[in-house]
Amino acid sequence: MNNKWLTYSSNIFFDEYLNKNSKIRKGFLRASLFFSSLKPKEKKYYIESCKSAINSMGVTFRVYDTDNEFKDRQWPLDIIPRIINQKDWSTVQKGLNQRTKALNLFISDVYDKQGFLELNPVLKNLVLKSSNFLPECCGVKPKNNIWANISGIDLIRDHNGKFFVLEDNLRVPSGVAYMLENRNIMKRVVPELFNEYEVSPIDDYPSKLYRCLVESSYTTSKYKTIVILTPGVYNSAYFEHAYLAQQMGIELVEASDLYVAKNNTVFMKTIYGKKRVDVIYRRIDDRFIDPLIWYKNSKLGIPGLYNAWKQKKVSIVNAPGSGVADDKAVYAFVPKMIRYFLNEEPVLSQVKTYVCAFKKDLEFVLNNIETLVLKPVNESGGYGILIGPKASKTELNKYKKKILDNPRNFVAQPLIRLSTAPTFINNKEQPRHLDLRPFTLAGKNFFVTNGGLTRVAMKKGSTIVNSSQGGGSKDTWIIQ
Amino acid sequence: MDNTVMLSSTAERIYWMARYTERVENTSRLINVNFDLLLDIPHDEISDLVHLIEITSSLDKFSKKPTKENILKFLIYDQKNSGSIKYCLEMSKINSRYLRPLLPKTAWEQFNNMHISFLSSYEQTNNSSILHEVIRDSQRFFAIVSDAMARNDVYNFIKLGRFIERADMLSRLIEEQILRKEAYVSKHYENLQWMSILKSINGYESFKILNKEELRRINVLPFIIKDKNFPRSLIYCLDQTISPLKELPSSKESLKVISKLKDATKNIKAISTDKQIKDFVDFFQKVLIDVHILVSKNYFIN
Repeated sequence: MNNKWLTYSSNIFFDEYLNKNSKIRKGFLRASLFFSSLKPKEKKYYIESCKSAINSMGVTFRVYDTDNEFKDRQWPLDIIPRIINQKDWSTVQKGLNQRTKALNLFISDVYDKQGFLELNPVLKNLVLKSSNFLPECCGVKPKNNIWANISGIDLIRDHNGKFFVLEDNLRVPSGVAYMLENRNIMKRVVPELFNEYEVSPIDDYPSKLYRCLVESSYTTSKYKTIVILTPGVYNSAYFEHAYLAQQMGIELVEASDLYVAKNNTVFMKTIYGKKRVDVIYRRIDDRFIDPLIWYKNSKLGIPGLYNAWKQKKVSIVNAPGSGVADDKAVYAFVPKMIRYFLNEEPVLSQVKTYVCAFKKDLEFVLNNIETLVLKPVNESGGYGILIGPKASKTELNKYKKKILDNPRNFVAQPLIRLSTAPTFINNKEQPRHLDLRPFTLAGKNFFVTNGGLTRVAMKKGSTIVNSSQGGGSKDTWIIQ
Repeated sequence: MDNTVMLSSTAERIYWMARYTERVENTSRLINVNFDLLLDIPHDEISDLVHLIEITSSLDKFSKKPTKENILKFLIYDQKNSGSIKYCLEMSKINSRYLRPLLPKTAWEQFNNMHISFLSSYEQTNNSSILHEVIRDSQRFFAIVSDAMARNDVYNFIKLGRFIERADMLSRLIEEQILRKEAYVSKHYENLQWMSILKSINGYESFKILNKEELRRINVLPFIIKDKNFPRSLIYCLDQTISPLKELPSSKESLKVISKLKDATKNIKAISTDKQIKDFVDFFQKVLIDVHILVSKNYFIN
């Protein structure tokens, strides 16, 4: 269709709304008609009513500045939806299920026979020395042999529109509440746009999550007591913890609400006295959950929880130690894992990754640093990343030194030209880069959300999408 | 037993959220009414305002020059004053964060709106529009709670906190305002002053329906102490703390203590002397503290 809506041209990047000739892609016509029919005044009205809906729904996230002072910021949502068709999405879902399965088998293997590690000595060395590897977890067998019940696997689309896995988040991935709230806000603000498409619903996630948590329980009681363990109201993801507890109708607890009795069962303190807990969905890093075993000074943990878990008196989701697969160096080995554990070819591609622990890769990285994206293996939230093509000579040299000091700590990837989608910037549609975090559940069954949380880099040309660093978001529509 | 049980920590937060929200409303109304009164009575307005500090907080926390502007700023906006509206709103907000899962969505949204509208207003002390707004917002919040919430433990703790707070504030009001030496207000203004007291507890109209004649201590005082049908009388507040306690476990002792206090309240007569009233109010406040201690012991994390 002739494009009277978007005035920018797309050529080096894959724009999800515009094709190479700057014409609106098929499937995006109705959205384009809707937005192009809006007068500037109406546009402004929609954008403002989106903000006020977010305000009164209290959708916030917390950021800390350099002085460790916090601020609650309004959740940033752009009202132009990100649209993906069901056919493409089905492949992605298949790929994510496959990946989740393989990663879980890998974690089981790490804490058991270590067969895969034996075949890959460099990986073995990396894993066993990783701070995410918790030797105390060896020999433990979580229910259904699932360690990472909940994962958030980040996807991007390259300059051809092809989906790639960017990273695996298996510790305490966050963002799902914002995915759900984005949809609620959009329904409130632009209901007329929903009439134009058959958008796959996403609101069944909390009930699927609940079922997944129930399935992870060792106990046979008919009514399971399931709790979400949060570090507290000052945590940046507290909004989500409270949101999920509410949606599932379960208790949101902090360490002081729980204790481990002499017989290793876990109880929570209620106004009617103690109550046995069957499953803990922890939203705390595993090394904080039991001060007797890991971080001794942790005030977020419950003394004795590790033993209760090991003796199968309580389930902890995700299982302690599952972070071992949540490592940007381990990521490089996932295709191998899929072949080894499942005897299948990977459905989803992933970004070529140079693991600096390999001598050959290290050499390549040092020689080509100005073309690569450098990442510390153990950071999340976009921290510590260096984008080679945008860095100065001094920055590059400084980073080189950092890599040489501890090669194991770094991986590098070629710079992917992330796809873009029109986004309102000062009430004008501008192309901005996107990624996508779908959420997967693993238990007796596997489940992938319809879509996920689309994050948007709000600065022109930027690819940093993290909300802690000023990123925005879009509602993600899987359409029939 | 019910499959959903309330965490001790949650009970504590609900209780405080309700107390602080009720305190915000009471303080706003108190300042508001005195605001109006100042316009009517030609007298030492500063001392009247200082007196508000005595009711809501304590004088030694106020170090600035006692001008009208400074005093009102202290009462409304001073974050270091634990009796200020801003402080109480902040505390209710902090406690409410934990309660999102337990409140009806509309109540939660109303709560946010209350904070947003207060924080986004200009800091000004020239008129009382912000106070009107806060009162209306808090009333809306509690209206949603009574209208939409299941009568469960969450509701019980909201009610408990709310009416213990209301009784506390009311007793301070009686103590400070009623027994205050009226050195600088002539008898001529007695009517006006009692009117302001009734208005500050939202009771002027209710009172007028029962009593058409002029407002005097002898008819106002029994009304705000022991009229069981008026929602801001001491006796009504006690009744409202009894009903949630009856629903909660291990409340025998608290109920006994409150029942005793109710008897003492009923015994107050219109002709009681200032000294008798003063002693009664002291006793009332002491028992209220005992009730609070029992509630913490029985239900909160210790």
